[in-house]
Amino acid sequence: MEAEVTYWQEFKKGIIAQNPLLVLMVGLCSALAVSNRFENGIFMGVAASFVLVFSNIIISSIRKWIPGQIRIPIFIVVIASFVTIVDLVMKAYFPPVYERLGVWIPLIVVNCMILARAEGFASKKTVVRSALDGLGIGLGYTLVLLVMGFIREVLGTGKLVVFEKTVFSLGFFNPPLIFIMFPGAFLTFGVIMAVLNRYEAGKKK
Amino acid sequence: MTGKIIGLGLRLMFVGLIASVCLGLTYGVTRDKIREQELKQELESCMSVLPGVKNSSELKEDRKMREKARKVTGSVQKVYSSDKGHVFIVKAKGYGGPITLAVGIGTDGKITCVSVVSHNETPGLGGNIEKDEFRKQFNGMGGSDKFIVGETIEAITGATISSKAVTGEVADALKAYKAVTD
Repeated sequence: MEAEVTYWQEFKKGIIAQNPLLVLMVGLCSALAVSNRFENGIFMGVAASFVLVFSNIIISSIRKWIPGQIRIPIFIVVIASFVTIVDLVMKAYFPPVYERLGVWIPLIVVNCMILARAEGFASKKTVVRSALDGLGIGLGYTLVLLVMGFIREVLGTGKLVVFEKTVFSLGFFNPPLIFIMFPGAFLTFGVIMAVLNRYEAGKKK
Repeated sequence: MTGKIIGLGLRLMFVGLIASVCLGLTYGVTRDKIREQELKQELESCMSVLPGVKNSSELKEDRKMREKARKVTGSVQKVYSSDKGHVFIVKAKGYGGPITLAVGIGTDGKITCVSVVSHNETPGLGGNIEKDEFRKQFNGMGGSDKFIVGETIEAITGATISSKAVTGEVADALKAYKAVTD
């Protein structure tokens, strides 16, 4: 079975076919909450991908040594350690971003996207495959965050600000604030999911 | 059976041990940087509310004054003093969580400026407490002025709770200042 799946496929599947947010629908909570700004997507995506890749690598490399009964606590310890590392590093070097992402960085620990990959993938596959899987899933997560962040920020504030520079500004309309608030997250997410499903359904025909 | 459980426990302990060592190392590397950043941010807010203070070294944390101020109101977190006046760091409950303000009070006992250090209000509504139009209303207010939202202070549309919280905090800071300097 494993021989049939190439490394490239292992990486690629996370982006669309098994996109964590749009298809597997895990880790939605943080994604809906932080995607009100484009810039947040970059940092949150990098943070989650970092945790995902490294926890996958560690868990996969010790998978034969972990007894089945205590695998979940061990996964959580590994994941929590990487999250804390990200948390401390962000606090030290990117304080403004850290402040904006707030509680969502420490909450990566309980993001089921990461635990699902540890339990469902890394604990069964080789280190290389697990790393690629982490990268692919992380990238899929980041891409969705970026698309959502772009739509929500542009519609909700009328402009796009990245790294304190205004990329462009639509001065001609009064932006509906709802897009940078929670209902906007659900609306945007629903529409993106519908578009993707339509696209996938079209492909099958 | 017992032996197996001990074995599992030992493995878990081993994992925990390695994780703590890694975290300890990371913490050691980032600790100073984090403290520095927090202090820098606070000092920047303080400098922005006291005109004339050009360098953060002019501001000194005033523990004596803080202790006295805490007796008047618990919302005072820190007090910085300089020869241009004092900065009161006050914190109280807003709509979405605590709102921390830096209130600058000049040597004449009048508010020089109010700045929001951190808050968790709704963006676009309560978040507007950061805006100049709202904050500037407090400038120049002194001991005998009354702080009443709707009369002396104009609230932000759709954010009465946030406006009231900020106004209350500024009034607290001034009250503490009066009690301390009297």
